[in-house]
Amino acid sequence: MSKRGEVPSKFIEKVKGAVGEENISQTECDLISYSLDYWLYGVFLSQYGKLPSLPSVVISPKNSQEIQSILKYANEYKVHITPFGAGSGVLGGAIPIKGDAVLNLQRMNKFISLDETSLVAEFEGGIIGANLERELNHRGYSMGSIPQSFHCSTLGGWIATRAVGQFSTKYGKIEDMVLGMEVVLPDGNLLNIKPVPRRSTGPSLKELFLGGEGTLGIVTKAVVSVHPLPERTIKQSFAFPSVEVALEVVRKILRGDAKPAVVRIFDEPETARYFGQIKNKVAIIFISEGETDFVELEGRLIKRIAEENGGETTGEKLVDIWLEKRFDIGLGPIIMQQGGIVDTIEVVSLFKDAANLYNDMASAMRAVEGAISVSGHYSHFYREGACLYITFAGFPKDTSRYYKDTWTAAMEATLKNNGSISHHHGIGFWRKDFMQEELGPHGVELLQKIKFALDPNGILNKGKLIDGK
Amino acid sequence: MESKKELEQITNCALCGNMCKDSCPVYLATGNETVTPQKKARLILYKKKAFIEDEKGFFDVMFQCAMCGACKINCLYDNFDLRDSIQRERSEAFRKGILPDETRKQVEIFAKFGNPDGERQLIQKGAGNLGYLVSCSTYNDQQLLKAVEKILTKSKEQVQEFGGADICCGAPLYYAGDLEGFKKAAKKMKREIEQRKLQKVITNCPACIKMMTEIYDEVGIHLDVEFIHTVEFLAALLKEGKIKVNKANATATFHDPCILANDIGITTAPRDIIKMLGFDIKEPVYSGKDTHCCGGVPAGKIADSKLVSSVNAMRTSELKETVADVYIAACPTCKVALSNIDIKDVAEVVAEQIING
Repeated sequence: MSKRGEVPSKFIEKVKGAVGEENISQTECDLISYSLDYWLYGVFLSQYGKLPSLPSVVISPKNSQEIQSILKYANEYKVHITPFGAGSGVLGGAIPIKGDAVLNLQRMNKFISLDETSLVAEFEGGIIGANLERELNHRGYSMGSIPQSFHCSTLGGWIATRAVGQFSTKYGKIEDMVLGMEVVLPDGNLLNIKPVPRRSTGPSLKELFLGGEGTLGIVTKAVVSVHPLPERTIKQSFAFPSVEVALEVVRKILRGDAKPAVVRIFDEPETARYFGQIKNKVAIIFISEGETDFVELEGRLIKRIAEENGGETTGEKLVDIWLEKRFDIGLGPIIMQQGGIVDTIEVVSLFKDAANLYNDMASAMRAVEGAISVSGHYSHFYREGACLYITFAGFPKDTSRYYKDTWTAAMEATLKNNGSISHHHGIGFWRKDFMQEELGPHGVELLQKIKFALDPNGILNKGKLIDGK
Repeated sequence: MESKKELEQITNCALCGNMCKDSCPVYLATGNETVTPQKKARLILYKKKAFIEDEKGFFDVMFQCAMCGACKINCLYDNFDLRDSIQRERSEAFRKGILPDETRKQVEIFAKFGNPDGERQLIQKGAGNLGYLVSCSTYNDQQLLKAVEKILTKSKEQVQEFGGADICCGAPLYYAGDLEGFKKAAKKMKREIEQRKLQKVITNCPACIKMMTEIYDEVGIHLDVEFIHTVEFLAALLKEGKIKVNKANATATFHDPCILANDIGITTAPRDIIKMLGFDIKEPVYSGKDTHCCGGVPAGKIADSKLVSSVNAMRTSELKETVADVYIAACPTCKVALSNIDIKDVAEVVAEQIING
């Protein structure tokens, strides 16, 4: 078992005073439970009792005021704090890598209000996505953010990583949904960013925390855009001969101003895995939803463009199969128990580079010794480009080497094709090494300066995304 | 170590992304990662691999579970119920004498009186092969018991009522991990039912039904008797016209007891009754098979009284949000746990509105 981190006893005493004795823990079971998020190499190792490190202490505040006190004490005693949303992040962003103190944000999990006139709702940051959506659905609304981690990730976590849901082509990414937020800054001060649709008051402060990965502040509340539950849903699917043709069809559909909620292009291996009856083809599924008139018009547009470009209609059934399987990650643990390793990598590019990116990235990952499966889909579309999401699995002799080499191959192929190294999972600590090439030296330096300006003691989430300079 | 399959299953759960955590009432009420299903599985795996040093702390976590089955319903894997693994750990805690204090006291009372509450009178009324088992929780709720008796009288059904004294299904011992004590209680219950020559038994308590229809078989005790919950019996009486009721003109919210919904699979019968009573049903955000456990009572399925209070408070708040005229449950333990909203059992509401047989 890994060693526990250490923390000054005076800090513990002060924090106890702020949050109450029952909300601060150093029990072995708690330290084990907050030691790891869903970074898959860490999960793989966890079955052997190898955890990256045990935190020194777990602190569970109930509100922003308590977090303000905790961060003030952290600055006073130079204690590093790792914010922990729900631990679903896949890049190690919530791992207390140096045995840091964990700030558990999951007690702050309440629905606050719904403004039906303005179509916005407010929640505490620690609410799980599925619980958030239930609250809204019960009242006749949806946020439209349904990531694969829907049942185990929080609103605050979505904001921290610039997450995206499966229905993003209509509803957008989280950065398109958040209007306002409450943030505890690293020095313990409270920042309120008021919810308005747009404003012209200098650079947008909320952009600092959208994707901040808990390094620049703790998002405790957020006001998000909501939509009435759809009146009509149309599900369609088509089969095409190649990824290239499929990408071109989606590009044409989006150029026509269609906004289907779900658009997914599955490469041949994923088409075969999801929809066994379709061989040697690339499937696209579409879900259009909303007001009946718009949805029917959009449905007709999609059908026409797909068929004009050689699409073979494969019906609603493929969409239903995907809907049924979309949260099923059950194979991963089975493979890992047998000594294999699995993971996913999501990147993004313009349409002009999209097909080459897929071909280069998949080829490079397949070439790594130990690979047994590399497959992909495009899952989030914009008029200008798309997110490519690759799943890989390997049974290598040296798991650590295979895992690192596969990631390196994927990142290098992405950068070579003018892509961005992350679309929605973020950087955490695992993808940090590629930030120089992603942002360039001046981009990294600018982020380092921002980090230092906000958090000169480097209190928040040290070792993740960016460290101060 | 249990079988290879069981180790594989608990490892799958330990390596999963916690895809059911949004359904776990103990987690939702506390925000505590450690009590989530996947983290409990990791801890169980680590216990099996001898990585855990703080055994008492580990067993305490095993008793911080509502045993409600929400994780089973939302599990990615077929035929896996984390509760089975938790239950085995509770049994080990009992064998080693490392029980939470409140649970230990409960076991001691049971050992002395043959029930979880203490000295009790024997209840034996009526005749016939249709039985009505007065569960321990119903024995403690005389208002509910009188309501059921009133309905039985009005319906003119011939029913043999029994309970009290040391007649108990043994559920408190099961959840405490005392399997030998549980088997003893189960054998006694089997004798009590067989000597009364009962063919069908009605009871208000979902846990009694779960024990007698599922868990008794697991410990090798088979009862050749049909068990039905009171809501099924009442729904049938109303549908067949054996009892008639006045119609209310009000709104009602029904709290689905977790075992009734998740293990026994009953969610429509109570709603049918409530509608037949003339209520307009207002559903909470979490209902039917998505219900949240009420938390029960201290030293029940959850040992720790503070944790019980947290789960009680969360469910109370969820129900109150519906702002209904009447709150209704179908489990005497839920009624105690949710007493802050003056909740009634379905049988009490039927008894209030019953006209005649």
